[in-house]
Amino acid sequence: MDPVTVRQGTLDMLVLKALSLEPMHGWGIAERIQQVSRDVLKVQQGSLYPALHRLEGRGLLEAEWRPSEDNRNAKYYRLTAAGRKLLASEKADWERFMTAVQRVMQAV
Amino acid sequence: MSLVRAAWYHLRALVRRSRVDEELDLELRDHIARETKANVARGMSEKEARRAALVAFGGVERFREETRDTRALRWIDTTLQDLRYALRGLRRAPTFAFVSIATLGLGIGATTAVFTVVDRVLLRPLPFRDPSRLYSLSYLPEVPFVIPPSLQDRFYLTYRDQQRSFERVVAYRRAEFSLSGNGDAARVQGAFVAADFWPLLGISPARGRAFLAAEDRPGGEHVVVMSDRLWRDRFSADERVIGRAITLDGDPYVVVGIAPPDFVFPYAAELWAPLTIRLELNNSSFLPVVGRLRDGVTLEQARAELDALGKAMPRDRRDPGNRRKTAAVVPLKQLITDDAERSLYLFAGAVALVLLIAGVNVANLLLMRAAARQHEIALRASLGANRGRLVRQLLTESLVVAGLGGILGTALAFGGVRALLATAPAGSIPRVHEVHVDARVLVFGILASLACGVIFGLVPALDGARADQRAALSRSGRTLSSPHGGLRSRFVMGEIALAFVLLTSAGLMIRSFARMRGVDTGYDASGVVTMSVDLPSRSYPDATRIRHFHAGVLDRLATVPGVRAVGAVSYRPMGSVGIMGDFAVEDGTALRGYPVDKPTVSPGYFGAMGIRLVRGRDFTPRDDHLSPGVVIISESVARRVWPNQEAVGKRISMKDKPGPNDWLTVIGVARDVVQDRELKPHSTVYLPYLQTDPVFFINHMTYVVRTAPGGGASSVAPAMRAALGDVDATIPVQALQTMDASMLDVVAEPRFQTRLLTTFSLLALLLAVIGTYGVLAYDVAERTREIGIRIALGAGTRDVRRLVIGRTLVFATVGIVLGSIGALAATRLLSRFLFGVTPTDPATFAGTAIVLVGAALGAGVVPALRATRVDPILALRQD
Repeated sequence: MDPVTVRQGTLDMLVLKALSLEPMHGWGIAERIQQVSRDVLKVQQGSLYPALHRLEGRGLLEAEWRPSEDNRNAKYYRLTAAGRKLLASEKADWERFMTAVQRVMQAV
Repeated sequence: MSLVRAAWYHLRALVRRSRVDEELDLELRDHIARETKANVARGMSEKEARRAALVAFGGVERFREETRDTRALRWIDTTLQDLRYALRGLRRAPTFAFVSIATLGLGIGATTAVFTVVDRVLLRPLPFRDPSRLYSLSYLPEVPFVIPPSLQDRFYLTYRDQQRSFERVVAYRRAEFSLSGNGDAARVQGAFVAADFWPLLGISPARGRAFLAAEDRPGGEHVVVMSDRLWRDRFSADERVIGRAITLDGDPYVVVGIAPPDFVFPYAAELWAPLTIRLELNNSSFLPVVGRLRDGVTLEQARAELDALGKAMPRDRRDPGNRRKTAAVVPLKQLITDDAERSLYLFAGAVALVLLIAGVNVANLLLMRAAARQHEIALRASLGANRGRLVRQLLTESLVVAGLGGILGTALAFGGVRALLATAPAGSIPRVHEVHVDARVLVFGILASLACGVIFGLVPALDGARADQRAALSRSGRTLSSPHGGLRSRFVMGEIALAFVLLTSAGLMIRSFARMRGVDTGYDASGVVTMSVDLPSRSYPDATRIRHFHAGVLDRLATVPGVRAVGAVSYRPMGSVGIMGDFAVEDGTALRGYPVDKPTVSPGYFGAMGIRLVRGRDFTPRDDHLSPGVVIISESVARRVWPNQEAVGKRISMKDKPGPNDWLTVIGVARDVVQDRELKPHSTVYLPYLQTDPVFFINHMTYVVRTAPGGGASSVAPAMRAALGDVDATIPVQALQTMDASMLDVVAEPRFQTRLLTTFSLLALLLAVIGTYGVLAYDVAERTREIGIRIALGAGTRDVRRLVIGRTLVFATVGIVLGSIGALAATRLLSRFLFGVTPTDPATFAGTAIVLVGAALGAGVVPALRATRVDPILALRQD
């Protein structure tokens, strides 16, 4: 199956979701999204950084520099309480949307 | 909590930008490294792995920029960067910086100065309570509208008592008081005002009280309110003056109050006394009247009510305006500023053109600068700066130029306003004491300069950022003819055209002023000194006493050393208003509607004033009240009444229904004289003051003294003052000055207008010359290679010079043609300021064109010389 390019708004949600399990650095987030979506979702890696910084600037993420598993320093992002709250509501919205679309598509 | 964190995130990105940028670089580099490592783990070579990592990432530079753009305060940072860039650029091009900032500074300075005056005089509300509801009331014949808005006293009383549209209706009248005691006798401007005057305007005296209701009724107490200035200057701000009497026109007036500082309404008054109205049969005075419109009453309702009340009044057969009349209600402000409005708007228009020329000049300088920097800009564009950013940078530069120009201009405006007010003749600008530079003016200056920066910077900025990158980078752009040359030339032609419009206007004013100065006045003013008096009716109630006074003064003046001749006239030429009226002719010639001036004169007046008697003789001391009545008429009266006949010996009368003893014999014919600022010869009938009994004709008198030629006219002034003091020290000296000075007073306003317009147009000329020079010089520099080729191919010095001069002439010619079209439209607005010159005067247009061609050629000389000195070998080697 061809990969689907992820759009801006969706990317924000995916980033929040990826970070809901544990703090990660940028590359890790890109990897995680690609793996979990079984390579269907294609994220242009560079576009992750404007998104991350924007979310940080809105107070949804916070970041700190610390050594990673391979002992190189990396910038780790973590969800803030506000980020967590937003993710929950985005997720709920998304599910309602999907259910509705599914119903429409399965009708007939 | 997260809000604070977010705010800190943005703030930190601003204040510790380099640190934050460094972290971003680290973060991105870390990402690429990790991806590369993962790719190697997937089996790629090191080199291949890194390449794939970069591809997967996308453009590193692009995402770095996009990430930076998420910083909310980034604009501050970018702006500061642009500012630094602009300042650096200006420091590297000091000539450009100086010329453009000075140009804009002059334009904005002049504009701001004129705006200050326009704002204070025309735009601001009057300094009274709720001034927008104050209106001037009139009930006058519709045409011709010869008198300013006013009401006859009878109508005023009816309106005051019966109308319901206005809260209050108040009349006033101009007055001049002779203030004696407390130092030298002085003439003080003042006004008689109805008692309600103060509450009408919402002004209370700063000390003491206003008038009581009964004080403006006939028989009311003589009271007066004094201006703050008069109180300080003459009474040393002594509070005890309140309640005491001062002497005005010989009568005691009790000072009841001191007006607030700066209150001078109406007529720059220093003293206000209650206006009492005594109605006289067969005579009425016209009073300016102001009312405060009630809430909820429309102007039209008020006007209709006044009209109806006026129409209901019984008609008076002898009413001078016994024609159809209408009521009018106009805003008080309009009444006050009407006269000044046109000349102020004329100045505003002129100064706006100057600013426009300055702006175009700066736009051109920016265009040339952008063209010269094509290479640099193209380089930046190819290095990834986007077009919006480049436009912003160039625009910032023009805003910096405009801002600095604005600062310079506002500083100049302070001096400009002072100079403007200092050179404006007294009385030509109403509300002049309210004029000063304030915050509002500063805001205007800032806005004007910002507008200039944006308007005149935008075209060059867009143009500069569009610079053809490849052409510029390959440097071939230097030798091709510039794509912006057309725009530059058009700008220069536009500047010349605008300068032409201004110069023509100034030229017309100058010619008109010369005509005024060259007018044949009918008298010989050189060496003539005059001095006027007003004799109060209390101490000089009848003709005998008045004549005695004048004779005493004239005798003393005649003995002053250096005096050749003395005389007296009731209303001198170039003085205040005179008395006009009809007369009857013995042979029955009907002369309805032929009003003449009726001054009274002493024997010897014609000699003293230098008015030639063309026929007959002068009055002598024997033409007194015991002898038969005689008159002297002016030439135009003789021509009008007795064409082709001898006027001397004919008889006329000043009475409406002359009795047998009322006929006066014409004994002489004098030249017509110019009497007032209209500068037209007047028809005059001179009466001997020795035979004139009505006090009104002889209690205002001007003594005329002719001094020896070259024998200091001014040196007799103290002796003249002393002569008057000798006769009666309580009578103040008025208008002690030379006739030349009086003549200058009359033309003071046109002279001021001419000077100001000339200043603006010379400024415009200077700017246009700078602009033309700049473009020509740049052209020559840009075409160095082309000129080099021409010289190498055998073109002589003359051909090269002709190349530049030809271009100059094209600029000038097109500019002048366009300017003439503009001037034909613009100078029509001047017509009411012109005397003896038509707004399309061909000589002025031609003269202006010659001046402009000369100025343009002057601007072309240096570039032309430079072009002839191009070394073909150096020029060709340049690339």
